[in-house]
Amino acid sequence: MFHQTPLKTGAVLLLATAAVVYAFTTGFFGLELLTEVAILAIVAIALDLVAGYGGMVSLCHGALYGVGAYAFASATVLLGWGGGAGMAMAVAGGGAFAWLIGAVSARTHGIFFIMATLAFGQMAYAYFFDSPLFGGSDGMPGIARLDLSGAGLDLNDSRGYALFCTVLALLAYALAATLLRSGFGRTLVGIRANEPRMRALGLPVWRHKAAAFGTSGALAGLAGALAAQHTMYVSPGLLHWTVSGELLIMVILGGLGTLVGAVLGAGVLVFVKHEVARFTDHWHMVVGLVLIATVLSGGRGIFGQIEFLWGRRGARRPEPAATEGSPDHA
Amino acid sequence: MLEVRDLSKSFGALAVTQRVSLRVAPGERRVLLGPNGAGKTTLFNLLVGELAPDSGLILVDGRDVTALSVDARARLGLARSYQKNNLFAGLTVHENLALSAACAQGKATALLADSHRDRGVVATVEEVAERVGLSELLDASVDTIPYGARRRLEVGLALASKPRILLMDEPTSGIGPGGINAFHAFLHGLPAELTILIVEHDMDLAFGIADRVTVLNHGEVVFDGPPQEARDSALIREIYLGSWGAEGGGHA
Ligand SMILES: Nc1ncnc2c1ncn2[C@@H]1O[C@H](COP(=O)(O)OP(=O)(O)OP(=O)(O)O)[C@@H](O)[C@H]1O
Ligand SMILES: [Mg+2]
Repeated sequence: MFHQTPLKTGAVLLLATAAVVYAFTTGFFGLELLTEVAILAIVAIALDLVAGYGGMVSLCHGALYGVGAYAFASATVLLGWGGGAGMAMAVAGGGAFAWLIGAVSARTHGIFFIMATLAFGQMAYAYFFDSPLFGGSDGMPGIARLDLSGAGLDLNDSRGYALFCTVLALLAYALAATLLRSGFGRTLVGIRANEPRMRALGLPVWRHKAAAFGTSGALAGLAGALAAQHTMYVSPGLLHWTVSGELLIMVILGGLGTLVGAVLGAGVLVFVKHEVARFTDHWHMVVGLVLIATVLSGGRGIFGQIEFLWGRRGARRPEPAATEGSPDHA
Repeated sequence: MLEVRDLSKSFGALAVTQRVSLRVAPGERRVLLGPNGAGKTTLFNLLVGELAPDSGLILVDGRDVTALSVDARARLGLARSYQKNNLFAGLTVHENLALSAACAQGKATALLADSHRDRGVVATVEEVAERVGLSELLDASVDTIPYGARRRLEVGLALASKPRILLMDEPTSGIGPGGINAFHAFLHGLPAELTILIVEHDMDLAFGIADRVTVLNHGEVVFDGPPQEARDSALIREIYLGSWGAEGGGHA
């Protein structure tokens, strides 16, 4: 079950503080990295929501992210809508597509579920790759950023945009945490633990899983809209399954089913990628080695390991295992 | 309350349920007996919808539920516990019971409120935990509690959904004589209006609680009547008690 523990709250505050301090001390290149981390953190949170807490390991979150990006681009460039409406469109587009994927795939499990999401994702990729309306393989340029000058914010300034994305990542975390500690989230964890029993207790499991997947897709869509505005350009590459794979790596590296780990994983992967790429082209290998080390050392991921060690430290205090040897009632 | 008409089910050539008909009255305590492989668990699976029958009807309050899904039947007040523990692994006893109670009380999809802290849910969790003797273990993970406690939680999960009809599949298997006595007391404490179907291998317990006994053999109902008659029936002694000695050790 999800609990917003003091450890989690502390970690989130620390990460947020680090991001803000970094934003005011780094240059243009650093701000680009920070923006990328914040955006990917939102998709990683969305993915952890369904994979870590709902047991639905997805290989289509890149596609949901891409659909959000294209929805924003279409709404603002093709339809001439404002940035706010474009963002709403991205959230709705990602959510609707994900709900559909969830509704169709929710009856499958394990590898079959993964394959179903992969197939949907690649279908969307192929569609945008071939579609003249959306620029085909060239994608769509000329995307403008949201205009928040009324609120005194210049999103065309890279620091302003980085901070804007950081705030949205924080809100995404708060939203996911709220959902996970609600009845909806508790039940989602119940489904992961024992889906047939949840059904036997009267839950329409299919509907619940589709709703969770749709919610996750809406968050991924939001991140897509931010990515489109970040680069001011969208291309089918956003939807490719390798993006989904990389998102899964982030979540596993940071700690599947810890929520904070998703944010941490996004940060580690983006920074490792750019730092290592300065020395060698083989940064994929470095990430691969880190991932193997993570899986072999218990598979808890960075934040999962931190929570594990923290919990053991707590357990060593003088409260003996109360469950041991408790008498069967007679 | 619960009625079964001419229910049949085969796995390939093996007829596991053969033209079974039953009628269980509201508040009745019905004990289902039969040797290993008689089709008792299969009948439960058919009743709750985990298996689809080849033919026949299942009615709850006179309503045909044969085509309803597992969850839809559960929402009508049909709950079952399993012969093999079927819990929410990795979660605490409280969380297990709360998942069940929240589902029955319409809190399972609340978007803001924490269902596991909901007043109604917590009250049900505490009441059920008290009934099945798990009050001391509410915060323990189900992975660490003793077998007997897990067995009681198995029944507790079904009970926490506040069913009108409760099916229990060998709830006392493997819990020892002390556990069986406690279970007897537990059954007597249940509300009189609750309709209960129970598969039970312990004869003293079975005859002690039954309003009526149904005996299955090779998927067929071979006896349906009051417990005194069942005790005296030569047929039952032959098909049932004959195999009893061989399995008595396993269920004691
Ligand atoms: N899914 C299945 N596929 C094929 N055969 C099955 C299946 N489920 C049960 N059977 C067979 O049906 C018969 C009845 O099984 P069932 O579990 O209903 O018996 P039971 O009366 O509950 O026995 P026990 O006292 O051992 O629990 C057995 O021969 C069993 O092997
Ligand atoms: Mg059985």
